[in-house]
Amino acid sequence: MVTMIGYIVIKFRAKPGEIEDAAPTRTHTKWVGFWLAWTTILCLVVIVHPGYTGLIELRKTAADEPDLTVNVTGRRWQWMYEYEGRYVSLFTNDEMLVLPNDSLIRFNVTAEDQDVVHSFWIPAFRMKIDAVPGLTTYMDVNTTEIGHFNDDVNFRVQCAELCGLDHSLMFTRIEVVEPAEFEQWIAEKAA
Amino acid sequence: MASFMPLIRGAIYAAIGFAIGGGIAQGIAALTNEPATEPIVVLGYVFAVIGWLMGVGMWKTWGDGWFGKPTENDPTGNWSRYLKFNTDHKVIGIQYIVTIAVVFILAGLLAMLLRTELADAGQNVLTKTNYNTTMSLHGIMMVAVAVAIMMGGFGNYVMPLLIGAEDVAFPRINALSFWVVPPVVVLLLLSPVFGGFDTGWTAYPPLSVQTPLGGLLFELAFLTFGISSILGGLNIIATIITQRAPRMTWGRLPIFVWAVLAASVISLTATQWIAYGLLMIIFERIFNMVFFSPPGGNALLYEHVFWFYSHPAIYIMILPAFGAELEIISHFARKPLFAYRWVVWAFALIVALSFVVWAHHLFTSGMGESLHGPFMILTELISIPTGIVFLSALGTLWRSKLRLKVPLLFALGVVFNFSIGGLTGIFLADVATDIALQDTYFVVAHFHYTIMGGEIFGAFAAGYYWYPKITGRMYNETLARYHFGLMFIMYNITFLAMFIPGTVGMNRRVAEYPPEFEFWNLVTSIAAFGLGLSFLPWVYNMLNSWIRGPKAPDNPWDAKTLEWQTTSPPPLENFEDFPTVTGDAYGYGDDLVVHAVYGLRKGEGVNVNFGHNAAPAEGD
Repeated sequence: MVTMIGYIVIKFRAKPGEIEDAAPTRTHTKWVGFWLAWTTILCLVVIVHPGYTGLIELRKTAADEPDLTVNVTGRRWQWMYEYEGRYVSLFTNDEMLVLPNDSLIRFNVTAEDQDVVHSFWIPAFRMKIDAVPGLTTYMDVNTTEIGHFNDDVNFRVQCAELCGLDHSLMFTRIEVVEPAEFEQWIAEKAA
Repeated sequence: MASFMPLIRGAIYAAIGFAIGGGIAQGIAALTNEPATEPIVVLGYVFAVIGWLMGVGMWKTWGDGWFGKPTENDPTGNWSRYLKFNTDHKVIGIQYIVTIAVVFILAGLLAMLLRTELADAGQNVLTKTNYNTTMSLHGIMMVAVAVAIMMGGFGNYVMPLLIGAEDVAFPRINALSFWVVPPVVVLLLLSPVFGGFDTGWTAYPPLSVQTPLGGLLFELAFLTFGISSILGGLNIIATIITQRAPRMTWGRLPIFVWAVLAASVISLTATQWIAYGLLMIIFERIFNMVFFSPPGGNALLYEHVFWFYSHPAIYIMILPAFGAELEIISHFARKPLFAYRWVVWAFALIVALSFVVWAHHLFTSGMGESLHGPFMILTELISIPTGIVFLSALGTLWRSKLRLKVPLLFALGVVFNFSIGGLTGIFLADVATDIALQDTYFVVAHFHYTIMGGEIFGAFAAGYYWYPKITGRMYNETLARYHFGLMFIMYNITFLAMFIPGTVGMNRRVAEYPPEFEFWNLVTSIAAFGLGLSFLPWVYNMLNSWIRGPKAPDNPWDAKTLEWQTTSPPPLENFEDFPTVTGDAYGYGDDLVVHAVYGLRKGEGVNVNFGHNAAPAEGD
């Protein structure tokens, strides 16, 4: 389209002093029909189809049993993580969130009752879900690679819904480790 | 001094109103043992706005009549006629345009402040609270600009002229719609004094219920602005239906009028929803009602209600801009508007679809998953009627005799910018990609491309196009070209650069961010300063030309629509000789299509005669 406009602006420019009008084409049903057909096909094939299949892919794991469940609670301006049945990391952003690789992890997310809406976002996993007081939402992640915040800032939890003063500081650093290392780490923490 | 009397009187009556309303509220609060500050502000404000309206002239021109007393209403006069309740749509249009331009510049300065802070990754210039308030104010002020400029400004001034009418259907309501806007601006500018608000213009609860008083001021301002929007929409629809010149059939309506009509349908019916949402927040604040917090409440209720308005609202913003863009392209291409009827149907389809896509703002909100698929697909379908608008633009431009004046350059800018804006919207319509991109700078860049790149460029196109008609002077073409060139380049650098940190994980509404994103933020900030500078030639041009520019002819563009067939500026009743329409306005290159004949009758234009008893008698 940009090329077309560029071409038009050069080729169909009125010469200085030219006052004649252009030829009065009002419509051209064949072109309109062609455009409509083409844009509809493009829409269905390039936009709707990938969207629909992407959505199915996204929800694929909903009925599966996760390898690890982490219950997340947000409050201004920290996150709390409970590795279900094992260990609870209290509200502080200094500790790291450690997760096992090659696992299906389900995060059940909420916010404290008298708090505000937050959003639990992990850029490295391209997943986020809001943390709403009074609701529990969930997000499934299949970890596929080792990573550490110090090497890649995308390995962090970042609040993604404006929650007031320290919204920009509401983040937790993440480390994804081998499952064996994770088991060791959590055994130490639970002790 | 006398010229400022209406404003002074308005301020005094507003103060009296505030005292009365505040006093009542204090009395009630004392009885219930609840804190009194916020009820005083709310009730005081309501009475203050009524006082303000009465003071600026609504009492003299309208209120007296309710009691059987004679009213006085003289819309003529010198510059002081712009400072009072004036029922002439041309005066109201200018009042809107000037007020909106000032708000635009102020909000733009706030943006410069934001970009100064964001140029570096740490917390530098602004404290966190001030950053949040600055960012929230920038947002709501620009949203107000976007909603009001094309509808209140150009819609009001130009639309009645385009349909050959003497004024709008309800001139006094028109004046009322404008005069509630100054209180909106005052409230917004006052909010930092009272603690500011840190919720963004979206004001999600529970945060917006808990913010300081500044947040309440913002909520009241937004509500007031909604009133203006609803009344304006009503007026525009009524005018287009009833005030068209004789024999201006629907098929002969200029495309800008169709666009403004379509946007008005949304304005009239959707705005109520944001009002409800804001009212619920205010009631949570002052009456302790529970809508959005547990137990019993749900924050998602607000999110749905808010976006049910705010999504259609963006079409109020862009449709008139599309209308202006297509109008300008046709007249400067010297060629009929291509596929006119298809565009009208496209507008109608856009309006219809706009009401059923709101939840694409809620994909990550925790709403029911079954909603994701339908909203995604409906959102993606909007691309099809929008594409028709582009088809029309390209089809009109092809094999044209293009006159490359500044209005056309801005219209081409709309086509270019909105293409980028629209295409990036696709990633946000798709649930899977939206989950990654929601609340990142990708979204910010996307909506700046559609709203600023689309609508604001359209507003500048309309502004330059109709400048000679409104002011009676020609602007300086060379200076305007500098404005366009600098603005177009700086604008695109600023917002293209913004997509990049968004895709790699920088979230929005933060002053402090990981240092990895610093480079592109610096680029954006520098280009943004350049963008700010590009407005200087525009301001100078507008002011200087108004005072000292060469007098403009009636029809500097040699265009066929009705507004150019009267003087620049038009007389009070718009036309010396009223038109009778005989064809549409796009008859370029075709001598058989004549838009109107004149002098067949004088007086108000009504009673469209659909073909029977054909032409009026000769020599009437």
